[in-house]
Amino acid sequence: MSWDAIVVGAGHNGLVAAARLGQAGRRVLLLEALEGPGGLLGAPAAGQGAGSGGTGPGVRIAAQPTWLNPIVTMGLGLDRYGLGPGVAQPTRAWGPDGPVTLTAGSALGVAPETAAAYAALHARLRRLAGPLARFMGRTPPPLNGAGAGDLLALALDGLALRRLGRADMRELLRILLSNVWDLLEDSLGDGPLAGALAFDATLGGAMGPRSPGTVLPLLYRLAGAPRGADPEILIGALLKAVAATGGVLRCGAPVARILVGDNDRAEGVQLESGEEFRAPLVLSNLHPRRTLTGLLGVAHLDAEDVRRARLMATRGMAARIDLRLATLPEALPAGTRLVVAPRLGAVEAAFDGAKYGGLPERPVLEAVLVPGAVPRLAVTATFVPHAPAGSWTGKSRGTLETRVVAALDEALPGLRSEVTGIETMTPDDIEARYGLPGGHWHHGEFRTDQMLMLRPFARVARYRLPVAGLYLCGAGSHPGGDITGLPGWNAAGQALKDEGKRR
Amino acid sequence: MTPAIRQPEPLGLVPGPFHDRIAALNRQQGWTGWMGHASPTVLDTVEFEYFAIRNGTTLFDISPMNKYRIAGPDAEAVVNRLVTRDIRKLKPGRVAYAIWCNAEGNVVDDGTVFRLAPNEFRLCCQEPQLGWLDDVAWGYDVTITDDSAAIAALAVQGPTSCAVLKAAGLAGVEELKPFDIRSFRVETHDIMVSRTGFTGDLGYELWMAPGAALGLWDRLMEAGRVRGIRAIGYAAVEMARIEAGFLLPRVDFLSSQTHLRPGRARNPYELGLDWLVALDKPHFNGRRALLALSRQRPARRLVTIEIDRDKPAHHAFVYHRKRREVGFVTSALWSPTVKRNIACAWIEAPWVQDGGDLWVEIYRQRELTWNRRMARARIVERRVFDSARRRATPPADF
Repeated sequence: MSWDAIVVGAGHNGLVAAARLGQAGRRVLLLEALEGPGGLLGAPAAGQGAGSGGTGPGVRIAAQPTWLNPIVTMGLGLDRYGLGPGVAQPTRAWGPDGPVTLTAGSALGVAPETAAAYAALHARLRRLAGPLARFMGRTPPPLNGAGAGDLLALALDGLALRRLGRADMRELLRILLSNVWDLLEDSLGDGPLAGALAFDATLGGAMGPRSPGTVLPLLYRLAGAPRGADPEILIGALLKAVAATGGVLRCGAPVARILVGDNDRAEGVQLESGEEFRAPLVLSNLHPRRTLTGLLGVAHLDAEDVRRARLMATRGMAARIDLRLATLPEALPAGTRLVVAPRLGAVEAAFDGAKYGGLPERPVLEAVLVPGAVPRLAVTATFVPHAPAGSWTGKSRGTLETRVVAALDEALPGLRSEVTGIETMTPDDIEARYGLPGGHWHHGEFRTDQMLMLRPFARVARYRLPVAGLYLCGAGSHPGGDITGLPGWNAAGQALKDEGKRR
Repeated sequence: MTPAIRQPEPLGLVPGPFHDRIAALNRQQGWTGWMGHASPTVLDTVEFEYFAIRNGTTLFDISPMNKYRIAGPDAEAVVNRLVTRDIRKLKPGRVAYAIWCNAEGNVVDDGTVFRLAPNEFRLCCQEPQLGWLDDVAWGYDVTITDDSAAIAALAVQGPTSCAVLKAAGLAGVEELKPFDIRSFRVETHDIMVSRTGFTGDLGYELWMAPGAALGLWDRLMEAGRVRGIRAIGYAAVEMARIEAGFLLPRVDFLSSQTHLRPGRARNPYELGLDWLVALDKPHFNGRRALLALSRQRPARRLVTIEIDRDKPAHHAFVYHRKRREVGFVTSALWSPTVKRNIACAWIEAPWVQDGGDLWVEIYRQRELTWNRRMARARIVERRVFDSARRRATPPADF
């Protein structure tokens, strides 16, 4: 059996890449190491997160309703495959003086002037995020040696930036590399509203709101869609899109290495079982470090690329905790996201602990209700170090769980007594189960020196790896992080473009 | 793999293993810094020292050179990944001149690779390379050690050098062919001898524990008394190396690790070192970039030029038809042995191919007054001084 392309890793970016290649008429084989597709969005293994010897339904890492970038949903026509319209998800930011409810651009539960300030800030950031969104849907410009096409695209980007006008342009440059604390404090003052936005700007990474460069992730997130669909529905639609174009998915098929021919071209992959598949095009949705130093192997790489792959910042600080509940908490309506980050200082203080390898005294977190026979509260807590004081123990897991429940109990009084079971996936657990170095769910820190034409690092930022026919297509590549599908979309596009040139 | 880090050195220039003897002979008190060591520039007069290289035997302390040991099951793979030559062809007991490149195909440094055993190499080079070696070796089963301070090294160069070594007790040294390595026992010390050097003449380099340095120096001086032996400084070596066509990093080209401005790094094709690049071996650092560069005409070339008359063309520009500036000189010398006025120069590609009507503008100061004069220049062979002594085995006895 021969294939036109092999995609390694059936996370959402792998599915998107496979579907786009399939759309272009390529026969695609999609290989997944785990028992099912979806990656972090996928169905968890039973007992995952229950600790040693425990049992439970398992913790889905990306349990929140999510949405792909419109370029992808429209490009793949996902509405034909049952994606549906999606739902807007309000955020309830808890504070000691009562909650603030946020929907796109409006805040309820705050003083009128704060609500007005928030509306203005939201509108301003959305406007500034506009030109950034242009960069997201395509291969980033090269650092040197730009071709005519690149230069034209850059000229149009420049034009889009110019259209912002002088005041906005100056504002963008002022805040682009600054920290989100200053931006929020200046614009909104402190409180649950600013805390929730600071939480969103830093979620998943190893930077606190006072770290420089934390405005950029917020702008990135604002450039996305303010809607969400259940992960199952999203993955289901992508699977249908792959199948509709003749793509074949094989799960439980971990890839051991990428095969490289004497002509320095990728020729296919070899599974851990020894089985080989051949294709002139291989896209890897795995973490860049694993793809380069693991599957491809350093013998095929220059020392500079190996060094960058080894040293790229990829220390995840988000833990996923599921609480099984006896009854649904009345204070949290279904379909609403709860954020417990009552002040900017609460987010920074949680980061301070993790920075030095300790567990945060008071984790900041988000939580959504997952309906079902046994209702669950799906919690994402940050900043949780990859390995507190060297490694995780039963005791440190217990401490984390106790502190998370304590924080939630404040926001949802009486919750503590309703908890009938807890399962926790630490960054370390996420690394082990999903093969993500550092347990970083963005496949690498989302910061200025690892974004755009530097994501994951120079020389491989345009998806193409030094070995011809081999591409990165995961969240480690531009625009990277979160659930957008854009890395997979762009990588497949670049691969097709290069293939066209070769023919 | 944990590379050993050299201990912090004291402030200022430190004395090398031969320092006591060199200091006693250094009438000029001329010293320069070389990798933190006090290295002599001129001991007596540069003319005496230069002619000793070509007519007798000279001793020059090369201990400040960086020396790295690369050993382990993957040593061959790591060295082959580092350098552009096919090191699999280098047999144990042999030395090879080599360059290594970065991912862009620009030269990081040049040096000599000693294959001491099937799984043990020594790399000798000008620039510190421990960090680079560490990067290149990541993922391989090797140990990299910085032996720079642990090994004393002495260059013994000149037509009578073989006879001096024999007389000093290194029986059988005459059997060494160029680039051979052999170990000798002198008194209680092991001395490793390689037939290598930087002068383009008959010569050897001796490698030993620092404790053996002074005893060996005295032995050689004694054996060389009737064979024209002389301790020399860097200035004389510099003359010999220009005649011999050897390149010097920081003078003739910049390492890709030391330049700051873009476009200042140089690739092997520009340096005229194509013969060192084995594109047909498996992947090595910079191979993909070098493959692409090998298909292009280099933008400029480093060449040896010969210039009319006898005034060395230091820091001169090179012109085409006396008008268009097409290059510049990096090293210049009126060669006393071949009686030719030579220089090492960068020249832009079209005028390397054309080769005709090249001129250099020579600047000369006479009693605080500057003069300049255009002199005709021609591109000549890189190795202007090429003596049969360099290759003859056994070398002539004296």
